[in-house]
Amino acid sequence: MQLEIAPLVDAILRAGEKAADEVEVYYAESRSVGVDLKRTIIGEAHETRARGIMIRTVADGHIGTSSTDDPARWQACLDAALASGRLATAQEWHGLPGPARLPGEVPVFDPAVVPGVEAARRLAADLLLGAAEHDAGVIGGSASLSLSESVLANSSGVYYTRQKTGVGASLEAIRGTSTGYEFDRSCFLDIDAVDIGRSAAFLACHSANGKDVATGSFAVILSPVALAQLIGHVVVPALSGRNVHAGRSWLAGKIGEQCMGEVLSLYDDPHTRGLGSTLWDAEGMPARRIDFVEHGVLCGFAYDLKTAYRYGEESTASAVRSGPGGSPGIGMHNLVVDGPRGTVDEERAIWVHDLVGAHTANPVTGDFSVELSNPSWKEGGAFGEPIRSAMLAGNLFDMLAAIEVLGEVPRIIGTVILPPVRFNNQQIIGK
Amino acid sequence: MAEARYYDIRHVSGQVTHIDIDNGVIESAGTSFFDKAVVRALGETGWGVIAIDNFSGRSQAVIETVLQDALRLARATEEKVSLADAPSRILPVPAPALDPRDVSLEEKQAMLAGIEAAAKVPGVTSTRGRYTEEINSVRFEDASGHEYTYEITRCGFSVLAVARKGGFLQMGRESEHTIRGLNLAHREEMGRTAGERAVALLDAATVRGGTMDAVLDPELAGVFAHEAIGHASEGDIIKEGGSVIGGRIGEQIGNAVLTIVDDPTMPEFGFEPVDAEGVAVARTEIIKNGVLTSFLHNRETLAAVGGGAAGHARGVAGDPPIVRMSNTFIENGDATADEVIEACGTGILLRGSRGGQVDPGRGVFQFNAEYGYLVRDGELRDLVRDVSLTGEILATLHTIELCADDRRMHQGFCGKSGQSVPVSDGSPHVLLRSAVVGGHGAA
Repeated sequence: MQLEIAPLVDAILRAGEKAADEVEVYYAESRSVGVDLKRTIIGEAHETRARGIMIRTVADGHIGTSSTDDPARWQACLDAALASGRLATAQEWHGLPGPARLPGEVPVFDPAVVPGVEAARRLAADLLLGAAEHDAGVIGGSASLSLSESVLANSSGVYYTRQKTGVGASLEAIRGTSTGYEFDRSCFLDIDAVDIGRSAAFLACHSANGKDVATGSFAVILSPVALAQLIGHVVVPALSGRNVHAGRSWLAGKIGEQCMGEVLSLYDDPHTRGLGSTLWDAEGMPARRIDFVEHGVLCGFAYDLKTAYRYGEESTASAVRSGPGGSPGIGMHNLVVDGPRGTVDEERAIWVHDLVGAHTANPVTGDFSVELSNPSWKEGGAFGEPIRSAMLAGNLFDMLAAIEVLGEVPRIIGTVILPPVRFNNQQIIGK
Repeated sequence: MAEARYYDIRHVSGQVTHIDIDNGVIESAGTSFFDKAVVRALGETGWGVIAIDNFSGRSQAVIETVLQDALRLARATEEKVSLADAPSRILPVPAPALDPRDVSLEEKQAMLAGIEAAAKVPGVTSTRGRYTEEINSVRFEDASGHEYTYEITRCGFSVLAVARKGGFLQMGRESEHTIRGLNLAHREEMGRTAGERAVALLDAATVRGGTMDAVLDPELAGVFAHEAIGHASEGDIIKEGGSVIGGRIGEQIGNAVLTIVDDPTMPEFGFEPVDAEGVAVARTEIIKNGVLTSFLHNRETLAAVGGGAAGHARGVAGDPPIVRMSNTFIENGDATADEVIEACGTGILLRGSRGGQVDPGRGVFQFNAEYGYLVRDGELRDLVRDVSLTGEILATLHTIELCADDRRMHQGFCGKSGQSVPVSDGSPHVLLRSAVVGGHGAA
């Protein structure tokens, strides 16, 4: 790191302890380098150098937060955190965690990932190589590599440090007015940029000359990309202990009930390989596997310390940096959608690569109606005739209660790890 | 800087203040600070861009080094980028009626609490009120000697109500954001509206999806203008061949009643006094009387594509400028809203917005209404929930048959390339023939 971080963090903790019962400091520094493709040539190369300090104070149950990207202004940031705490309603509070023995490592750092323009160019070249395998044009693409270092420390003696790397690539292809988009992201230099390019170009080509489908009820296979978006907008907020206690979750009061299909289990596994893998959560609590749904039965919700203390629950170490200014809030590390695996595309069904407008799903009820991207008939494990245009309308909770089968191969999409999933009798609105 | 054909530096510093009141409890409130700059250099070919934080007070020597780093990055590019000439000047930022900084956080909190409490009408089981205030101090300079500084304050609030009947939930949401100063005083009615809507939706029917005539209210029709035509007219998307309206300037692509405008000079939530490349902002008519007239451009896409005007580059603090919308709207027609509903005959009226999305290359858009009413014989009937609308841009623009004279603007945030910028959208009530409406009910 460029700065002497330990003395800076120590100075903030010492100053904070004079004015509050407890102090927490999060410091992060990152560098990323990438290139953007404009059609098939590189139009822009970019580098981002970012730093940030996030301070949280607790005094008599008043929790305050503030952040700044200027380490020299930490005193003003600390003052702002204290002022913020004076405004917040006081609540039950039983302390920040102390240091724990956290054995092992989680897979988030790859020494082979060195942010640099040449490495990004190689990825971009691979994207184009793959795209060239199909007769589609390239609209654009991107490739980037990042390295970040962070420290989480508090006045109870926690001082955890982490190095994390990232690699990402994406490509958008077009044939006529048929588009295809693919991407991947990993902490490791293991993404297959050739395959990303190939898949995007295949989607654009395959979806050209799609045929209309009549409005009706059909079996539908949602790809991991499509289903992860709906789960992120509807299921993740419904599992948040804060939303449960605030009366905004459809799952509230249903612990022990069969809420989803028997084949379905949902759990957060912070130790598995994913983009959110970690040994500790954003508050320094030792991260562990949390089972939310076992064989369709709801068995728990996600809690951070604040929500747990307030409602007499236990923290599930589910704090992530999702709050204002990067303060801790409830979230997922690696939400795994799991269950017995089978074949999703042997019987005839409409396969859906992506959704247009998944974020318009009703987060409270799970109702949605969205346009499909690259819908296509699939049967016998192979792509059949493409569908020009169609909508899918339904309720995600109803769908998860009636899952037909989970597919074999899981994929990491943001903080969700999931396979393709087949649902029978879904309402398709054709053109 | 002998090698740079052009460079610019856009430095944005400021603070973000928020208040979050959840079921009467002040969850969190406070202020965070930021200070970021984007340095862009044009080498022999394309752009090298460096985003760096904590830029205030950097010495000239450091700035020179960052510029050289940006140039080094630019050498990795292959595309020969040209920049069109464009007028450069800055407009005054409209003065806020009440500067939010002149009101204490405690007072704002009390006003927000009043709005949040008002949402708790009988039947409502959960309420949440949120206030945000962002002050940006912007300093721009470029290789041509243009220099601008300005400050702009954006603030606003949202209120959410959730109603419950047995195990059944529904929500209602209201929000208002502005550049015209603190807007929290005496707004309890917006809380009540959110609460009453949540309760009313408990008894609303769901729609059976299909093709029908639809009336869009000003908020949803504004989202239509934004999603269906605004994004597709963005010069960067046109340049890469990713828009179905590329190459169609001068063509009649919509009904003659339709004029769609993007206007960053309008004192609304998407206002910009000068664009993020130092170019003068101006009203741009994308579609005039159904004819595609202009794309939205920055200097690069104007040079590459033509057809339109630069001045539409925007960037959030720490991100490079890209082509964006600002205040986008459908111009008023001469019918009344009642006449538009009467002309619909039998169909659906869609109100409010839960957002939308477009695939401009495919020419397909989707957006979701907060609620609606079935229309029979020109009159509003049953309340319906969870209705969305999709369509193909080129077909749908011809099916807008009638525009009312009651345009209103609504504020929101628009995401593109990972950047979320404040925008406003607006429209009068409009009538769409044969719209594809999505829903999963039997009504």
